[in-house]
Amino acid sequence: MELIIKNLSKTYSNGVKALNDISLTIPQGMFGLLGPNGAGKSTLMRTIATLQDADSGSIFLDDINVLEDKQSVRERLGYLPQDFGLYPRINAETMLDHIAQMKGIGHKSERKELVSSLLQKVNLFKDRKKGLGTFSGGMRQRFGIAQALVGNPSLIIVDEPTAGLDPSERNRFYNLLSEIGENTIVILSTHIVEDVNTLCSNMAIICQGEVLMHGKPKDGLASVQGKIFKKAIDKSELDQYRKDFHVISTKLIEGKLSLRIESETEPGNGFEAVPADLEDVYFSFISRKVDPITI
Amino acid sequence: MFLDIFIFELKYRFSRPATYIYFALLMIVTLLLIGFGNTPASEKVYHNAPIVIANLLVLVSLFGILIASAVMGVPIYRDIEHKTATFLFSYPISKFAYFMGRFWGSFVALLFISLGTLLGIYLGSLLGPLFGTDAARYGPNLLVNYFQPWLTLVVPNLWLAGSLFFAMVVFTRNIKSIYSGGIVIFIGYLLANFLAQDIENKDLVQIIDPFGLNSFDIQTRYLTPFEQNNFLLSITGNLLLNRILWFSVGIVLFLAAYYRFSFSYFFQTSQKKTKPEAITEEVPNRFLQKIKGDFSGSYQWSSLKTLTKIEIQNVLKDVYFRSILLGGMIFLVLDFWIGQTLYSVPSHPVTSMLLEFKTYDYVLFVFIILVFFTGESLHRDKSTGYSIINDTFPVKDGVVIASKFLGMAMICVILATLPIVVGIVIQTLKGYFNYNIGAYLIDSYLITLPDYLQMIMLVFAVHLVVNNKFAGHAAAIGIWVLMIVLRQFAGYDFNLFFFSYKPAYMWSEMNGLGHFGEPLFWFNLYWTAFGIFLILFFSIFFSRGTEDSFSSRVKSAKERLTRKSTLISYVFLVIALGTGAYIYNSVVYVNSYFTSDQSNKRSAEYEKQLKKYEFIPQPKMTKVNLKADLYPLERDAYFEAKIQLVNKTDSPIDSIHFNSSSLTEFHTLLNGDTLSYRFPLKYDSSKFLIFGEKPEPEWYKITALPKTMMPGDTIDLVIVSKVINQKFPNSGYGRELVYNGTFIAGGMPDIGYSANGELNSDEERKKYELPEKPEDLPEHTDPYGRKTLLFSDEADFIQFEATISTIPSQIAIAPGYLQKEWTEGERRFFHYIQDTPIQAFFSVVSAEYEVMRDKTTLPNGQEIDLEIYYQKGHEYNLDGFMDSYKDGLTYFSETYGNFQFRQMRLLEFPRYEGFAQSFPNTVPFSESFGWVADFSDPNSFDYVYYVTAHELAHQWWGHQITPNYTRGANLISEALAEYSALILTERKYGKDNMKRFLKDELDDYLRGRSNENKKENVFINCNRPYQWYNKGSLILYGLRDLIGNQAIDSALYKFNAEFGLKTTPPFPGSSDLYRHLAAYTPDSLKYYLDDTWNKITLYDNKADEVKATKVAEGEYDVTIKFRSQKLYADSAGEESIPSYDGDFIDIGVFAAEDQDENGRDRVNPLYLQKYKIKPGETTLTIRVKGEPVKAGIDPFNKLIDRAPDDNMISVEIE
Repeated sequence: MELIIKNLSKTYSNGVKALNDISLTIPQGMFGLLGPNGAGKSTLMRTIATLQDADSGSIFLDDINVLEDKQSVRERLGYLPQDFGLYPRINAETMLDHIAQMKGIGHKSERKELVSSLLQKVNLFKDRKKGLGTFSGGMRQRFGIAQALVGNPSLIIVDEPTAGLDPSERNRFYNLLSEIGENTIVILSTHIVEDVNTLCSNMAIICQGEVLMHGKPKDGLASVQGKIFKKAIDKSELDQYRKDFHVISTKLIEGKLSLRIESETEPGNGFEAVPADLEDVYFSFISRKVDPITI
Repeated sequence: MFLDIFIFELKYRFSRPATYIYFALLMIVTLLLIGFGNTPASEKVYHNAPIVIANLLVLVSLFGILIASAVMGVPIYRDIEHKTATFLFSYPISKFAYFMGRFWGSFVALLFISLGTLLGIYLGSLLGPLFGTDAARYGPNLLVNYFQPWLTLVVPNLWLAGSLFFAMVVFTRNIKSIYSGGIVIFIGYLLANFLAQDIENKDLVQIIDPFGLNSFDIQTRYLTPFEQNNFLLSITGNLLLNRILWFSVGIVLFLAAYYRFSFSYFFQTSQKKTKPEAITEEVPNRFLQKIKGDFSGSYQWSSLKTLTKIEIQNVLKDVYFRSILLGGMIFLVLDFWIGQTLYSVPSHPVTSMLLEFKTYDYVLFVFIILVFFTGESLHRDKSTGYSIINDTFPVKDGVVIASKFLGMAMICVILATLPIVVGIVIQTLKGYFNYNIGAYLIDSYLITLPDYLQMIMLVFAVHLVVNNKFAGHAAAIGIWVLMIVLRQFAGYDFNLFFFSYKPAYMWSEMNGLGHFGEPLFWFNLYWTAFGIFLILFFSIFFSRGTEDSFSSRVKSAKERLTRKSTLISYVFLVIALGTGAYIYNSVVYVNSYFTSDQSNKRSAEYEKQLKKYEFIPQPKMTKVNLKADLYPLERDAYFEAKIQLVNKTDSPIDSIHFNSSSLTEFHTLLNGDTLSYRFPLKYDSSKFLIFGEKPEPEWYKITALPKTMMPGDTIDLVIVSKVINQKFPNSGYGRELVYNGTFIAGGMPDIGYSANGELNSDEERKKYELPEKPEDLPEHTDPYGRKTLLFSDEADFIQFEATISTIPSQIAIAPGYLQKEWTEGERRFFHYIQDTPIQAFFSVVSAEYEVMRDKTTLPNGQEIDLEIYYQKGHEYNLDGFMDSYKDGLTYFSETYGNFQFRQMRLLEFPRYEGFAQSFPNTVPFSESFGWVADFSDPNSFDYVYYVTAHELAHQWWGHQITPNYTRGANLISEALAEYSALILTERKYGKDNMKRFLKDELDDYLRGRSNENKKENVFINCNRPYQWYNKGSLILYGLRDLIGNQAIDSALYKFNAEFGLKTTPPFPGSSDLYRHLAAYTPDSLKYYLDDTWNKITLYDNKADEVKATKVAEGEYDVTIKFRSQKLYADSAGEESIPSYDGDFIDIGVFAAEDQDENGRDRVNPLYLQKYKIKPGETTLTIRVKGEPVKAGIDPFNKLIDRAPDDNMISVEIE
């Protein structure tokens, strides 16, 4: 099973070019989608999730034309949007049962069992009789995860799934994801580069609607390995360094600015070589498009 | 600081287009109302008279409440909504500055918006003549006329609403709570409306109405046209109290909100309390992957079910749904429990009436629920943010739309079912077990439910198209407002063009749903098909997913134009058009629909073309032998009348002007040959006849006589006529011929031109270039008038005989004595002969009746048969009818002269009309006029007894004394019948029991004159019901009090002796009665007769202060300070103060009320004496035995006093 995106473009009516000729091949397993805010991640995911149309290009899930045959995609889809709401006056159990029915679990006792076990898995079982309107952000997010997993979908799209989760819940969620069978495509978008590293077998970095990098995390790492150097400088010196070097990220550490640059050759000037991590890969690509420096 | 925030708020408001839109909206609405002359002003009142401006302002301020909710609900909620609240913490803003700045900034903006109304009225009064409204209908524009009511009515209303909405948001931190706030004051208003049905609740009503609308109505109800044009609204009494009360409530809310408000409380981020909950249940924890979705087979169907179910839950669990429904239920219970009262007397809770009561207030709440929740339902997924999940489920669009519709449809079912439950519970609690389950089911599920469903269909389609919740709500409500405005103000009523409108219907215990089933079926089919078309068709605009830009919606809509559901929608459109065509044919072609303009134009044409025939010599009938064949189930009747005509004039007559607008067809035979005729009228054809012309029914036939009738000549004619009801008309009850309870005039055309067919409104007449019509009959001495009868100018007295056939289950009745009854085939025949002469005033009645028979012997030995024909189950008040007949026959025959018949009958007819009418020895009496009234409260006014007495009295006043065709003559029929009935009822129930009735009479008279469209005539020339009924009974009752029983009885006896049963002219008129009354009135009291008959006289009597001192045990000196003034009014209602020495007026001192042996309240006068009271202030001291409680002037309201309640006040004992 494979999801093939070809030359996908989308321009919103306000002129924003959200997707610009995107082509990606997403195999089974976890696929991480990295990119800054406004990169087009959510647009891409919503388009795959049949919620909106593209201007041009195609998406195929094996031989299903995603843009045309929305029905078939929806039958296979589990989707956790970045920002969503629920019916405030319905309790969690009823709502999830309803969603399970909508996802084709027609058998009543089967559904009941599924709802109970899912609620337990996302740690909402004790809150199952509460109205969804009373849920906190984290609880709602967990409910969102539960609903995305109903009915054993073969295409799972999760948009910023760990936003609002505390670290232990985050772990619980990743454990849950890892339980998902082999024959599933999971597309995960996130800001947390580390997560992609630990979870995803494939990834892409997109920015301003374009694919900047596409491949395995370790390939990405390999591409920058040995090219990353760092130095702690004074804040006032930043402008000069930016002129002289390809700065990919900055961090404030104890009042000093810790600078990371990418360079093919040893830069000298007090820079020391550091082992590259995936974050460096991310910033390396992003910095070619936009200025990543924020203080 | 305050100023900064205040100015910021103002700037914000005035930079929003909404502010100007609201302003413009109010301006345009009032401009159009005033400009097109659609105001509550009667014809002699300016559209911009001060009182009319005040009325409009207070009405519009009702809508202002909606605007207030939009303006005053948000100023501080904005900071929660936009999450700007967190910043506020960090700024050095004081609570005072923030709260006051936001509040007053918004309130000033709200006041500005309300000024749109004033500008609209002003412009309307200037532009009116350009819109075609008569320039004479606009008076001078004075600034004070605008700002006085604005300050006293509008500002307090907006203040109340504004502080309420502001406070609601402060207290609940939830913007939706303003719905509940709005509902609460709306309920207060409806409650006031509800109570206002009964004048006994006057004070309460005026105080509890939060908008002051009812208080305004009561305060201004007696203002005459002159006063409405010239007086400012007086803010006194209860209106003042009302304004102060509700303004204070506003202040309390405002202060409470201020003290409750604090930044930390208001802008706290919500912290929900989490209840610790132990996990007790063991749940299986199987591996998820095993359970896989299956989308084949019944997936879509089960999804529809679960989606519908969750939709219903979403609505049912909504607290706003619950609170609005609760409001509806409160009114449902109130309306069912009390229902419609007549003279404060309630009815037994019969099902047919309950089914009508649910349309009073409950339906309003249903409308609010359906309009808002249909929109909520469609937008719920988007507004909660759930759509982004829901839209990725593999259900078809159609299933989603259908589930939303079905969810709301189930809500409709629930709303349609509740009245059944409440109705049956209330019937049971009241001990009424005769539930008409069939009527409940038919009305709720076949009439009301389709109505509700059609409502949601339209709202649904609107929201599909508009795709924005608030704009959708506005558009949906806008459609209804437009329809209501067009119908109420612009006079359009063609139901086929007004979504979901149907011809009105009414349940009757006698006739069930009757013939209304047919139009309801067709109209429901039409509107339902059209509604389904709307939903199916406009679902092309349904948007799914995150893309809902206009262009993408249009694009997908175009693609969907050919899909299956759209194609099916065309099928429903075709069904709607087909049914529409059927209805159009029925309404326009079969039943000749005319718009009100067209009807007016036709009346004008009638007058212009035929007025020349008024008063031309015509022969008079002397004999009628009627044959009537009734087919109640087909609603058809066939008549054949053998009549004899005599030329009683002194000129030859060569043609007879037969005419009838109620007969479907008639023709005249002489010796078996049809007489030729000419139809003299030419009309423009109806604009609605777009599918071809239709011959004009020839209803006015100038029939040529083969041989001219010379004076004294006699001719025998046969008139053949029929009334056929086919299909159904646009509106109207068509009550004459019904399945059970036919009551139809005798199938005879009128003879000669009648002024009754003319346009009455002078404003309308002006449009058609007709002169003003004073609506006065000829002078008292007019020779034509004196020899013509008022009720029927075709005849003087006639011999009458009738043979009537009907279906075997029914009894048919006409005036006269039953000679024979027989059955021939499937027909049942009745032969009646009236063996003494009567006026040509008769009708035919047929229904399935139970009969109660009795006899009474009059003091002169005469035996009278009494019969009451009634609907089975309506036995409640049979004794009341019978007693009234017995008591009345005895008393009237003794007092006014012998009774002229050997029988008296009373017949129930369905409640499509609420009157009783007295034909010779035969009185049809409406089902709703007391048959099911509940007189169990001993204090209730027995109006069954009273009305029966009134109709019986007409056998003397009307059938013995036959009024002529001159000015005011009708009073010798109606005023005397009203008076005689009052006396008879007083004899049975005592003086105290009459108070409630007299109060109603006074109220009706004063209201009547204030709504007068032309001029108020003096009583002797009376030409209006409020004069001959209401003023008549008051002034005759007052005269009797002054001159005594014997004098007035003698006068009436003499009057009847002179004119009673006089079969030849001259016939009596009002001046003849006056002459007899004057003869028995001593000179000292002649002023009263003159004041009441020849002038319009009012009194302004008021007790100022009453003090009592104890002089001995049980003995008190009571000192009463009071004022009295007599006023004369002219025909427009302008008053002048006459100089006079003094008039005789009661001064009374009363002990506490108690109850007599029948449980009735009893007033206990300690002292009651007439004094000649001079105008101005008077102080009197009276010694009484017993403890005084109340005292004052004219305590029984025998005089016509515009403020009857201030005549008596409580006694202060020193």
